[in-house]
Amino acid sequence: MQNDTINKSRQRIEFVRRYGTVIGALMIFIIFSFASENFFTARNFMMLLRQLSMLTIVAMGFTFVMAAGGFDMSIGNLTGLINMVFTIVLLNTNSFLLATIAGITIGLIVGFVNGTLVAYIGLPDFIATFAVGSIVYGIKMLLTKGNPIFFREDAPAIAKAIGQGYLGPIPLPVIFMLIYVLLGIFVLSKTSFGRRIYAIGGNATASIFAGIDIKKYRRYTFLISGFSVALAAIILTSRLGSGQPLAGEDFLLDAIAVAFLSSTMFGEGEPNGAGTFVGAFIVGMLNNGLTMLNVPYYFQYITKGLVVILAVVLSAVFAKKLSE
Amino acid sequence: MAEEKKQKKIILRSENLGKEFNGVWVLKDINFDLREGEIHSLVGENGAGKSTFIKILSGVYKASEGNLYVEDNPVNFESVHESEEVGIRTVHQEINLVPYFNAYENIFIGSEEVKKVFNLRILDDVKMKKKSKNAIKELGIKFDVGRSAQFLSTACQKVIEIAKVLVQNPKIIIFDEPTTALGEEERDNLLEIIKELKSKGYSIIYITHNLEEVMNISDRITVFRDGNKIDTVTKDDILKMEDIIPMMLGHKSYENFCRNCEPVDDVDRLEISKLYTKRLKNISFQVKKGEIVGIAGIVGAGKTEIAKALFGLDNILGGKIKINGVSYIPSPKEAIMRGIALVPEERKTEGIVPNFSVTKNTTLTYLNKWTQSGVINKEHELSVTKEYISKFDIKTTGPRQPIKYLSGGNQQKVIVSRWLLGDFDIGIFDEPTKGIDIKAKEDIYILLDELASKGKSIIFLSSYLPELINICNRILVINNGRIVDEFDPRTLNAKNEIMTAMMEGYKNAE
Repeated sequence: MQNDTINKSRQRIEFVRRYGTVIGALMIFIIFSFASENFFTARNFMMLLRQLSMLTIVAMGFTFVMAAGGFDMSIGNLTGLINMVFTIVLLNTNSFLLATIAGITIGLIVGFVNGTLVAYIGLPDFIATFAVGSIVYGIKMLLTKGNPIFFREDAPAIAKAIGQGYLGPIPLPVIFMLIYVLLGIFVLSKTSFGRRIYAIGGNATASIFAGIDIKKYRRYTFLISGFSVALAAIILTSRLGSGQPLAGEDFLLDAIAVAFLSSTMFGEGEPNGAGTFVGAFIVGMLNNGLTMLNVPYYFQYITKGLVVILAVVLSAVFAKKLSE
Repeated sequence: MAEEKKQKKIILRSENLGKEFNGVWVLKDINFDLREGEIHSLVGENGAGKSTFIKILSGVYKASEGNLYVEDNPVNFESVHESEEVGIRTVHQEINLVPYFNAYENIFIGSEEVKKVFNLRILDDVKMKKKSKNAIKELGIKFDVGRSAQFLSTACQKVIEIAKVLVQNPKIIIFDEPTTALGEEERDNLLEIIKELKSKGYSIIYITHNLEEVMNISDRITVFRDGNKIDTVTKDDILKMEDIIPMMLGHKSYENFCRNCEPVDDVDRLEISKLYTKRLKNISFQVKKGEIVGIAGIVGAGKTEIAKALFGLDNILGGKIKINGVSYIPSPKEAIMRGIALVPEERKTEGIVPNFSVTKNTTLTYLNKWTQSGVINKEHELSVTKEYISKFDIKTTGPRQPIKYLSGGNQQKVIVSRWLLGDFDIGIFDEPTKGIDIKAKEDIYILLDELASKGKSIIFLSSYLPELINICNRILVINNGRIVDEFDPRTLNAKNEIMTAMMEGYKNAE
């Protein structure tokens, strides 16, 4: 009898631990829908998805790094650099293909440098990626002396379509995001690659003893992060039609928020693909909804910070309750 | 008689002290006393109950039964702090210093001396320096207390650990294997220091695996075995250290599991010659097909280093290794390809991924077996895991349960299953029965026997002699990074001889 009650309460705790953040997301959605008459409209919903598409892609890359127990502080500045480089190459060659190759190459190079410093040379990830981010920031500013640059009038149509086009009613960035999310979920949860990354994050020493080449895999996660940033940056550049010195600056804080929210979802205790999507949705929704309610942007930072703290505290509390 | 009693007052006494964990008594009816100004050594095999006893004295554990008296006052420590309050301090086996703190900062860590300047409490470096200098001088040693701990030798670091205890003015000092990781000369110096402390009136409990040291410094010796106190003898009662060994080992029968040693295939599968690493010196031995070779040694003798060297986790400085006659250069990847499996000593840190399910832990090493073009066949891995759960009788709610909720023995079975999936040739088992219950231990022995009879080569590293004697074809003894002797476990007096070789300082080195 008593056991039954205990079991029931355990089940309830487990349910909240798994789906609490998702329920929270729905609640925020409902609150915004009542608070602002423009929020719950098909048009705004598509806009919201389009806004959060780039963040989701960046956060998906970050999820890989965090799943392996790492951290990448360079993503915000890297977005800015690729935004600039893409625009410059496009201006000079008028070739979307070359600009894309240049952008992705830079993402991979920075990821490779991050991964090598952290995994092979053994620098602490916070410091190494923070320093690399600083270098990246400097190079970005150097390229145009801190000035914005704009696409030419005769820029190839595809260069704008990537970020601004539609497939039927659905914005193209949303489609890219959905494909990327599905791919991320698949790799993280279904492949041996994903399994090994989680093993490294769960216990790096035990992974070495199990024969996993943890250096190689850790560097891969930084490469994935760099590649994801490049994709997001290209979409962003296409949306802006320009290279902006401040572009992508919010991505770091937002992606960190997303990754921590992600690890509170579906009972994994680690950032996971589906959790990252919902997490990005929450952060995107806060950005969008608070703007609609005319809340000054600085309050959005405060709100986001509080949401992250709440999510992390809750997941810790539930984890502790369950282990008792 | 009365005279002697007066001189040597009893400062600490335990009465029928016992400790149980989950219904298992790991310590029972311990009547122990420590006299003022004596060195009282505690000896016994691993798991004999020495450290449990020490943990009760220092307030880490609460006794389950019995009484403890300090200077005839009953005490019942709720915390380490309470034990320290009455003047009991421990010098731990491991050195725990902040590397970039200098000696006196380390010595006063957590009990810093402060002075008031303009009503602000600031660190009183002058006072701490002076007190530290005095403490170190009291130990008969001189070095610059202003140097960072990281630049000092292990011996000096140990002295800092002792000074840390001395500045707290203890009455009773417990030394837990203080000479581990020290060279011979440093070790002798340390023993002199401890004798010096005794002459200054400190009462000392000394724990060691090294019987030479016991003979060197003890006034009295207490032997523990299987959680019981066997006897307390004065140093004059015994003539040589070999006399203590039978007391430690007892006459208990080790016949619970005894391997039926078949003659082995006379082919050397693994040949190691003149292997050197940072900790290993001139290691040479062979393992045949179907043979179980035991490597016996006390903690820190270099057993784990052999495992790590073979698996490619330690740098090899010299020597050759061959598998099936073909040269082998160790790395984890190469090790697995060439059929080497390693069940590591530290199950928690080196074995399991705690948040992973039983299944994910089981399939971690040979994941590719259940993977097609990168995608894991989850049903297949689940069914394989279920098979091993029932084969080894692994107690779990199911293959999806996180492994951290399993008991130590069951976790170990999962780690062993992990390697069995790969059909290895050479299995290295590093203390595979450490901290697991008797039933699980026996299961592991049976398994090792089975593996050997299927022709696998097993290297069994252990500091627990009875298990080695029961299941090994040969036993090598390692001491201070060298293999010092080899024994046939079936000879009449093997047990005592091996134990002597394990404990015997560095006599046979070179």
